[in-house]
Amino acid sequence: MGLKVENVSKHFGSKLAVDNINFEINEPGVFGLLGTNGAGKSTTIRMILGILKKDSGNITWNGKAVERKNINFGYLPEERGIYPKTKIYEQLLFFAELKGMKKEEASKEIDYWMGRLKVEEYKNMLAEKLSKGNQQKIQFIISILHNPELIILDEPFSGLDPVNTEMLREVILELVEKGKYIVMSSHQMTSIEEFCKDIVIINKGKTVLKGNLQEIKNSYKANRLEIDSEKEISKEIEKLDMKILKQVDRNYEIEIKDEEKVYTLMKNLVNNNIKINKFELKRPSLNDIFIEKVGE
Amino acid sequence: MKDLFTVARFTIKDMIKRKSFIISNLIILLFIVIGFNIPNIINLFTGKNTPEGATSETSNSFETKMLIVDSENIFENTLSNLNEMNLGYNFTVTNENLSFDNIKNKIENKEIDEAIIISNKNNQINIEYIVKNLAMISSVPESLVNTLSKTYSNLQISKLGLTPEQIQSITPNFAIEMKQTEEQEVQGNQFVIMLISLVLFYAIYFCAYQVSSSITTEKTSKIIETLVTSTTPRTIVLGKTIGIGIIGIIQIIAIIATALISNALFLEEGILDEVIDFNNITPFLGIITLVYFIFGYAVYALLYALTGSTVSKPEDVQSANGPVAIIAVIGFYLSYFTMMNPTSNLNLIAAILPISSPFCMPFRVMMGIATPTELIISIAILIITIFVVAKISIKIYSQAILNYGSKISINDALQMYKNKNV
Repeated sequence: MGLKVENVSKHFGSKLAVDNINFEINEPGVFGLLGTNGAGKSTTIRMILGILKKDSGNITWNGKAVERKNINFGYLPEERGIYPKTKIYEQLLFFAELKGMKKEEASKEIDYWMGRLKVEEYKNMLAEKLSKGNQQKIQFIISILHNPELIILDEPFSGLDPVNTEMLREVILELVEKGKYIVMSSHQMTSIEEFCKDIVIINKGKTVLKGNLQEIKNSYKANRLEIDSEKEISKEIEKLDMKILKQVDRNYEIEIKDEEKVYTLMKNLVNNNIKINKFELKRPSLNDIFIEKVGE
Repeated sequence: MKDLFTVARFTIKDMIKRKSFIISNLIILLFIVIGFNIPNIINLFTGKNTPEGATSETSNSFETKMLIVDSENIFENTLSNLNEMNLGYNFTVTNENLSFDNIKNKIENKEIDEAIIISNKNNQINIEYIVKNLAMISSVPESLVNTLSKTYSNLQISKLGLTPEQIQSITPNFAIEMKQTEEQEVQGNQFVIMLISLVLFYAIYFCAYQVSSSITTEKTSKIIETLVTSTTPRTIVLGKTIGIGIIGIIQIIAIIATALISNALFLEEGILDEVIDFNNITPFLGIITLVYFIFGYAVYALLYALTGSTVSKPEDVQSANGPVAIIAVIGFYLSYFTMMNPTSNLNLIAAILPISSPFCMPFRVMMGIATPTELIISIAILIITIFVVAKISIKIYSQAILNYGSKISINDALQMYKNKNV
């Protein structure tokens, strides 16, 4: 059950854009597809959607080829765009009808989603008169209007202000609750960490890391120590040859190379009666892992 | 199939609601109405009005009001029947002795347009031709001079005591009948033929161009990525072609209807008959013209769909469409120039070649020289061409449409067509 991408490759001329990629989405939720610009994410998405033909490998949904007749999918492309000279309602209706919806049903859903994303006032306006953020919300509605099983969101939060980001975040969580399978590509690691259970990181067309996000993070040892104290402790830290990565007032982020030194530092601080508000060992963030895996 | 009509319907609705489309079409229709009112507008400025109840036989508003002054009665009142000779003038003959100033006043008061003063000096008949401005007329019309000359000769001959029959035998009227040696009879009139050919060319060309423009807009506005995941490239190209084609047919119907209504409302009865022989415009010709419009449009629209998909910036559309425009112009001129010799082999080739047959075959049908076999072959070739062009265009479109980089070259397009993995 779900989406399966097996040994998929794609060349453009002599350039290998996607090299033998594998991943699987077995249960509803958000799957993170990560990579730098040009890593092969959009090509992979286009192959999943059947816009681009793969050179080799298999992409299946519930064991069947990913085709319009086998799956009802929605897609928010990275390249934003709607018909500039057409009224919002008319283009939403057009796409809904192409997805097989009847006019009455489509109208009802259009009203619901325009209200939900607070763009109902633009229903009869030409698209070109909307701000980029609102145009993006309209395009997002196009991708989910027909109640798809699989939703592919390519950089859904880029270009949105914090208010609209929060609104979209709530809608995505609502879709997850409704049991939708979502593939999300994003450069915003905090979004990925918030939504995704599983991820795949692609670099230059190759899979460099994949699996359950929590398990991936757990596989990394703590590499930073955060201390918030009531007194200046720089000397205590430097005495142990530990490197302060960041200091804001009496909040310290310290690099961990030797775990023993962490316990020694703690002991020293207690012995010196220094009041400590926070003492936390930190594992690498997804951002750190991403940079480690794909950074040159 | 349902998606095809959804795309066609959306294309139609999207296009006809645009202000630019509405305004440009209203302007075209307005020009037609104005065109049919040109005689009335001229009359308004020249002050010529058809008297109420007057018929074209007694007074025609387009005829020049001509005063003939024969103060010496040289023609001995034989000019009274000039109005029956249909020379394009409304003659008034007077024996009054009117001076140049008298006539000038009459012209300025718009009582007359022109005048002729006839006099006899040293046994030579002098004709003084007076008009408002000589720049408006290059010479005295030959037909008028011939008529006056013949009338004067007849008058003098009749004084020799000859009977009217004898006079007729001396100055006979020549009846000219034209015949051809080729068996194939050519009918129709050149004006209508040229007009149909020209209208077909512009209708086909501009409607087809809209397909390219529409595809480029979808690509440049980046909506295409959403569109190609909602339906197939084939449905997009064909749906768009059908939608814009229907709009083209509606535009042609609106133009013809406006012309017919304007003719009925604004032109005097029978005036258009002098220019167009309506006997040649049969329902069969109408059907053939419509068929060739649809098929010709399909060929060019599909070619334009291909070129439209190869550009990423609106400013590149013109150069990308250049090759198709050249093909269309070659097709049109091949048809247009061979019309001068419609029974030539070259005209037959133009009627069969798919790039020129939409402009040429309706003309051959109207002239009555198209055989059923030619017609069937021409239509069959056109249909085969549509299928071949559609296959190539859709295949290249499917790959080119998501290419947002630089303009795709002909070599790139050929590679895309050869690519089997699509």
